[in-house]
Amino acid sequence: MTMSRQGVQPTEVIDRAAKLRFRWNGKRFSGFEGDTIASALAAEGEHIFSRSMKYHRPRGILTADYWDPNLMVQVGDDPNVRAGHRLVRNGMDVRSQNAWPSLNRDLKAANGLLGRFLTAGFYYKTFMRPQWLWPTYERVLATFAPGGKIDIDTPHGYHDKRYTHPDVVVAGAGPAGIEAALAASTAGARVLLVSHEHAVGGHLRYSSDAGDQGALAELRASLDASDVEVLTDSTVTGRYEDNWLGIVQRNHPIAVERLIKARAKVLVAAPGLIERPYVFEGNDRPGVITSGAARRLINLWGVKPGERAVVFSANADGDAAAADLERVGTEIAAVIDARSGGQISSTAGSSRAVEAVMANGEQIDADLLVMAAGWTAPTSLLNMAGDRPVYDPAAARFFPSDPPSNVLSTGGLAGDADLDGLRQHGAETGRLAAARAAAVRHRLQARTARALPVEGDEPAWAVDERVPLGRDPHPELFRADTHGMVDMSEDISSKDLVAAAHEGYDSVELAKRYTTATMGPSQGKLETVNTVAAIAEARGETISQVGTTVWRPPYAPLTLGALAGRSFEPVRVSSIHPWHEANNVTLIQAGQWLRPDHYGDPQAEVRNVRENVGLIDVTPLGKLDLRGPDVPKLLSLLYVNKWMKLGIGRVRYGMMCAEDGVVLDDGVTGRLGEDHYMMSTTSSGAGGVWEWVENWLQTERPDWQVHVTPVTTAYASINVAGPKSRELMRRVCEGVDLDAEAFPYMTVREATVAGVSGCFMWRIGFTGELSFELHVPAGHGCHVWEALMDAGSDLGVGPFGLEGQRIMRLEKGHFIVGQDTDGLTLGPSTGMGSLIKLDKDDFAGKPELAWAADRPLPLVVAIQPDDPDVVPEEAAQILRGDTNEILGRITSSRFSPTLNRSICLGQVEPHLAAGGTKLTVLLESGERISATVIDHHAHFDPAGERLRG
Amino acid sequence: MAETASPGSSTPTGPAFESPVVRSSPSSNVGDLALTDASATTKWLVRASNDGPTADLLGARFGTSQVAAGGALVLGSRPGEWIILGAPAEVAATVADLDAHDGRDFVSALDWTHSRAMFRVTGAEATRMLEKVCGIDWSDHMTPDGAVVSASVALVTCDLARNDVNHDDTAGTPSYLIFCDRSFGQYLFDALVDAGDEFGLSVLASGVS
Repeated sequence: MTMSRQGVQPTEVIDRAAKLRFRWNGKRFSGFEGDTIASALAAEGEHIFSRSMKYHRPRGILTADYWDPNLMVQVGDDPNVRAGHRLVRNGMDVRSQNAWPSLNRDLKAANGLLGRFLTAGFYYKTFMRPQWLWPTYERVLATFAPGGKIDIDTPHGYHDKRYTHPDVVVAGAGPAGIEAALAASTAGARVLLVSHEHAVGGHLRYSSDAGDQGALAELRASLDASDVEVLTDSTVTGRYEDNWLGIVQRNHPIAVERLIKARAKVLVAAPGLIERPYVFEGNDRPGVITSGAARRLINLWGVKPGERAVVFSANADGDAAAADLERVGTEIAAVIDARSGGQISSTAGSSRAVEAVMANGEQIDADLLVMAAGWTAPTSLLNMAGDRPVYDPAAARFFPSDPPSNVLSTGGLAGDADLDGLRQHGAETGRLAAARAAAVRHRLQARTARALPVEGDEPAWAVDERVPLGRDPHPELFRADTHGMVDMSEDISSKDLVAAAHEGYDSVELAKRYTTATMGPSQGKLETVNTVAAIAEARGETISQVGTTVWRPPYAPLTLGALAGRSFEPVRVSSIHPWHEANNVTLIQAGQWLRPDHYGDPQAEVRNVRENVGLIDVTPLGKLDLRGPDVPKLLSLLYVNKWMKLGIGRVRYGMMCAEDGVVLDDGVTGRLGEDHYMMSTTSSGAGGVWEWVENWLQTERPDWQVHVTPVTTAYASINVAGPKSRELMRRVCEGVDLDAEAFPYMTVREATVAGVSGCFMWRIGFTGELSFELHVPAGHGCHVWEALMDAGSDLGVGPFGLEGQRIMRLEKGHFIVGQDTDGLTLGPSTGMGSLIKLDKDDFAGKPELAWAADRPLPLVVAIQPDDPDVVPEEAAQILRGDTNEILGRITSSRFSPTLNRSICLGQVEPHLAAGGTKLTVLLESGERISATVIDHHAHFDPAGERLRG
Repeated sequence: MAETASPGSSTPTGPAFESPVVRSSPSSNVGDLALTDASATTKWLVRASNDGPTADLLGARFGTSQVAAGGALVLGSRPGEWIILGAPAEVAATVADLDAHDGRDFVSALDWTHSRAMFRVTGAEATRMLEKVCGIDWSDHMTPDGAVVSASVALVTCDLARNDVNHDDTAGTPSYLIFCDRSFGQYLFDALVDAGDEFGLSVLASGVS
């Protein structure tokens, strides 16, 4: 096989004025703008492009397009690139894959000598036993894995995503597909035309027929003048429920790839036909190519595929290939016409020679064998829509059967005709698609609140009145009288398939999985029909009887990058976040929130709060605005305690239990006005509690007059804590008496703070210190925070983060829902059983809590290790003595700078809950330490004198 | 409806309003597509029965919007829920009218200005830009001028309203208002800037549409 660049071809797509330079296995090569990697290499005489997967047989061009199984290469760090499709670029570093030490001298080709042992199922049979050797097998086999190399440090580039809702998507841009798109657009539909190739036109692109070229120019001009959106170098990869389509766009100017998720009202499948190879001994030899490959090389890229050719033809495309070859000076040694019984049996020769051996034993010297043996109808999208295509032996290919009525097919997939006939059918299909899309659109508009009002009744579903395309007779040519490669991606021969059938894998789906035929990068586009034919032959049945495998998404392999698309990772920040970032903050991610964990030294932050005054940004605390006359009833239903008599300006703590009595959340609710309340929840529980409340109101108590509005981030929330907090607040507040008597613990007041009106303050806190929890309209949060910092500079004010707060709440013995409780912790286990008022009429979880009231439940208790310097890990087990019987666990633990010792909360069995009980705690190191339960949850200030101020 | 002309205070005597978008600078691009941070615009949330006198007063049914007599824009964001936005005086006039229900409806209204970030995207390519971050059908028949919809935008729950610009010189230019929880404001703004990059998006000064 000796390929070379020829003179200018009238149909070529290369720009000979734009020369490109690239490297192939380290050597310098050149090509032109518009060349694929394969065409550029072929033009320079390269004829081996890869080694086969299993036997490492040398492989050359087969189809010269996207589906060519022999043209997988590595481009830079990008493995498994299809050289038959990827356009060459200046500076490209292209390397062969799956060969060692070199493509031309691949030592792994020794596998070929073992070919008789490496049959289908070899791995399954050989590496089953002994089981313990599998890790070794795995390591060795990994060295034989085909494909390119991935460098995980390579930047992944920008992958994009787009959603679209066209009326009609046309998959395939041959003449029928283009006509369908144009007709649908003319009928008023919004149309997306998707071309797998770099340009629209389908098979017309590489036809040297003047009539075909005239039609192509006309179609392209019509498209340019239309409203049709055209995507080239793009593939409809999958069709899902209700015409949800995945489309991968490979040629986007700003993205490596773009995944388009399209909801089409009607899908038109017009992928054309894919030429299938013929199976005979030596059919994978470099120099054996399809007729389509010959015509593409000649007409698109001006490459002469060989000097002396044998053409094995069963159809007009084979004849056209022979004509094209002759035109560029290739000597036609013979045309073997399968329509009149001509047969080819095998090939022989070495290096660039391809000696064709006839069935009668005659040998013809050549360097090129062109085969035109028939077509595969890529019915993938129809399969994905639920269709089961049927085989027509007279035409030797599959045809659509009964796809859903919102999936239409046209072009070669639907049948045969001359160019005018295909265009006519395409146009009729486009009009039908538009009419059906209009009916779908009417239905969608009618049921969508925001849509334009519809006029009239929904249009009737358009009847399919298209004149069906014919079916040209074609000989059933699958395999010669010799065996050859069926699946060149996977190195599966017809002999393998026959053997599999004889082993009992007679179902085509089983045989496919056993042999891996059709499961390689070509995904059955070239080999499905030959696979089925081989199995049918082995079973002595017809192809119709055997049936075919089901094509599933994706139509063509796509990258994980395309599937992942752009990485959206929403983060939430408070309005005070800019100040934190400017002041040495260490952030911690809490759900979607980025929160200050500390500002350098959390222990010092604790000491400052205990001695002076500190500020913490608690904006993520959930806040629900409750309005309406029935709010007290709602609160009584949600919380375990009583709420009917909460006075205006008062705040009450409450615990929520789910319907199973398990602790759901806790927090305080304050009454701001006659029918106006503010509920706070935990930060992590904010969303869940809101949904829970709405669920109660909308499904259980729709008659109650309550409006619930989440206002978590309407306010910047700042807890001002410490013995000097009142003094600091006095300096910035207006309109509120801050004395302890006038504004006592567990009350709420509205105020103007640092000039900002509409703030409200709660006299509560989580640190055990005198605290003011300040809620400021968020658009002034940073202003108020800075005002507090300025006003308190002489008081020693400083910020503290979540870590400091966690230490102080543990010193004070406040439990955290989800930290000190779990998915089984019933309300009484928190040690706050007295809060649960079973004498209320009803509340969430009441029956279960009533049941639990006299049961011995685990309890949350405060624990102090006897060695004050040892801080047990959170989740450390509490054991019975020296045994491994688990009696509880540490739920929270820290070193307290206030008490200068370790402190904990834990859950223990009820008989261990009394103050003074000795416990054994198992550390992660395996050491067991002793600890003591203390009388109160609070390690510090159990009487609460400091927080009441 | 006039968005706040200058990003000042929503409380007339208070300090300046702090936008949730702190990392943004007006770009020198002069392309057709523009993004504006309009978070300072006064916004109120009204809830009432879906078919009561308040609904009649506000006019905008679910999924649609209309300009109230006082000039505020009323969005029917959900059944029984409306967002009112505009200049402070415009919004105040509409909210004041709610008292006219005279106890015949259970109504609540609260200032949402500080709760929601709000952005405006304007330009012929605005729809193409939104297609990159939101799965809604933006075609004219499904989302016409005046439409209101809730959707995920770059994985953030948002309310969106199509509110085309109809100045004499840019009649019918597609324009969308996008609201999200304030805490997501910076993230969503960055996501929109990224989505608009390929269309030459220009970032305009805050509050100017």
